[in-house]
Amino acid sequence: MIDFTWDAELDCKGLLCPLPVYRTSQAIARLGAGQVLRVECTDPGSLADFPAFARQRGLALLAAQDQGDRQVFYLRKEAA
Amino acid sequence: MGVAAIAAGPEAARGSRDADRLGTDARRRRYADVRELIASPRNPTPLVRLNRVAAGVDAYLKLEWMNPFGSIKDRTARYLLEGMRQRGELDGRELVEASSGNTGIALAALAALDGIPLTVTIPSGVPQEKLVLLRMLGATVMATPDDLCPVDNPRDGAIALARAVADSPAHRGRYAMPNQYANPDNVRAHYETTGPEIWEQTEGRVRTFVAGYGTCGTITGVGRFLKERDRGIRVVAVEPQPGHRLPGLKNLQEAKAPGILDRSVIDDVVRVDDGPAYAMALRLFREEGLIVGPSTGAIAHAIAGLESGAAGVVVGISPDSGLKYASFYASLVEQEGALP
Repeated sequence: MIDFTWDAELDCKGLLCPLPVYRTSQAIARLGAGQVLRVECTDPGSLADFPAFARQRGLALLAAQDQGDRQVFYLRKEAA
Repeated sequence: MGVAAIAAGPEAARGSRDADRLGTDARRRRYADVRELIASPRNPTPLVRLNRVAAGVDAYLKLEWMNPFGSIKDRTARYLLEGMRQRGELDGRELVEASSGNTGIALAALAALDGIPLTVTIPSGVPQEKLVLLRMLGATVMATPDDLCPVDNPRDGAIALARAVADSPAHRGRYAMPNQYANPDNVRAHYETTGPEIWEQTEGRVRTFVAGYGTCGTITGVGRFLKERDRGIRVVAVEPQPGHRLPGLKNLQEAKAPGILDRSVIDDVVRVDDGPAYAMALRLFREEGLIVGPSTGAIAHAIAGLESGAAGVVVGISPDSGLKYASFYASLVEQEGALP
């Protein structure tokens, strides 16, 4: 498993999709370019949602980790 | 200080007793509670004839913006909350609902009166006026792009978000969702009020009814009521084009068809582009003196295109007024010259 350093994290455990991507889009707005957000989810649907969300918003999805009972995503905000 | 405390303050200070109050007298247009103003067959919204924009068609618009919270959704919100209350779904819960604005505003007003917190998920393209009104009424607003959920709900992001707020395990049943798109009380509101009003106001002579595809509560409820009175009454649905900018209306190719839609009561579907809808809204302002929202423009455009002889008495819905769309209309008037 690859470990990343991150600048902010978001706990989306117990939230159904698309609440995690909604919360993530708000959290990303508060980050500067190049900063990384770590998001932890428990809805398996997030494994499909986050790659699509990252493509749509021009974010770099550094990793999507399926750990069975939880899913962890690392997203980097790119320069506008 | 909360809304309830403000309302109770002066009353308490005067120490008035029930017997001293004037109370409701609808004949005098005096009401003890703003909720009594929500339209019903005893207190219908007006029908006003279109005298210029639909030449040759005997057409009337039903001015739903004369409802106290400004739109046809006042009826829906009242029925949704009454149904939930009767089923015990409101007990100790907050409300969450997806809305393009009008249902949210009506729910926010009613929820504020009952002291119930409300969260509204709303497509981010709606006019600023609606967002401000929702906040003024104390609602929590979650604005989201329609394509928030690209995998499962490509054009219904606000609906999916409200559903997620209501159902997420982390919220442990904190929220109840009226779900106007699937709740039969939305249809019942129009079957029991809007439909009977139109029948009575036209003295049973309505031959064509025109309303938009949105939640589909209006077209299903009114259509069903009128068809039961006279199977020959023609029900026309107005549908915007994909990617439209007509808040409150839905294109049912890009959005999921609401569960409450009953296509068996619909005879024809008329597709309307944004341009003619906005152009008709402008004509309604200037030629009819009707300050209407863009969806009324779409509906009136469809009415103007009806064959005059076959249509008979036509009734179209005017869901809301133009006051909430000043920021949308700014571009129309700027084409004629910059705003001062």
